[in-house]
Amino acid sequence: MKTLADLKKIREKAQADMKLRNSNVRVKVIVGMGTSGIAMGARDVMKTFLDEIAAKGLNDVLVTQTGEKGFSSMEPVVDVVEDGKKRVTYGNMNVEKAKKVVAEHLINGNPVAEYVIATEE
Amino acid sequence: MQDLSLHLMDIVENSVRAGSTNIAINVGIDEFSDKIIFDIIDNGCGMDEKTLANAQNPFYTSKSERQKKVGLGIPLFKQNAEWCNGSFLMTSQVNQGTSLHAEFQYHHIDRMPLGKVADTVVTCIIGHPETDFDIRFYRNQINGDALIFELSTPSIKEELGDIPINYPDVTQFLFQIFNDGIKNTKLEEV
Repeated sequence: MKTLADLKKIREKAQADMKLRNSNVRVKVIVGMGTSGIAMGARDVMKTFLDEIAAKGLNDVLVTQTGEKGFSSMEPVVDVVEDGKKRVTYGNMNVEKAKKVVAEHLINGNPVAEYVIATEE
Repeated sequence: MQDLSLHLMDIVENSVRAGSTNIAINVGIDEFSDKIIFDIIDNGCGMDEKTLANAQNPFYTSKSERQKKVGLGIPLFKQNAEWCNGSFLMTSQVNQGTSLHAEFQYHHIDRMPLGKVADTVVTCIIGHPETDFDIRFYRNQINGDALIFELSTPSIKEELGDIPINYPDVTQFLFQIFNDGIKNTKLEEV
């Protein structure tokens, strides 16, 4: 059973880590969470990103949500925004693809071209 | 939507878009009345009577940029509730907020599974770190005992201090503590 007291340990570890990297967020992962995205599995995609990022200790990656953006036929849609680089939009995402994006894009810095549906300055 | 927890996700997104700073999510089972009950109460911008009536119409959307005027989130949830011998009620006041109450007959052949309510709650919390959530899971048992789990994000944020609630180790903690809550209130695999 977890209790709020368990947060103390997490907090201490996180404070040390954030001091080390000046609390910088290097990459933002933005999951589209409109009605059609949710119906197509966006929640499980977001959970996969959260689980993989925690498992790999990618503490400088932030996962967040947005509403629908007009890609309804390609949901779930995920944006990856990296400092100083073009925004990459992935479409038709699922759990397996999310794992691959974490390994190849977030860790190695190479967007997974076959899943990309748009890029932007 | 494949299950009720995904409907819940969609409804909470509406509350966020209404500019709510606080959203209460109650999910429970009442064994006496044989109902699964959802209450989502927000303090967002609310709706006037006309908008409130329109929100239940599948050919209405508040998103003005949309070319095809459809908004299926609320109508689908309502239809599912009514199909399952349940009920659906939305009340709202401009600048005060909106409350949504939905009931489904627990033992109804057409009722969708409850799904992963903990995943819905945690992804909502992490996706909207600036919004406060009051979460309550419960099961009123036929023997008279009530199983209750309650957790609010302000108390979590207080423990965390300057660590953001979407920090990776914290997200894993949240999945665990809310899944424990689901287990302890016997809402698992319902």
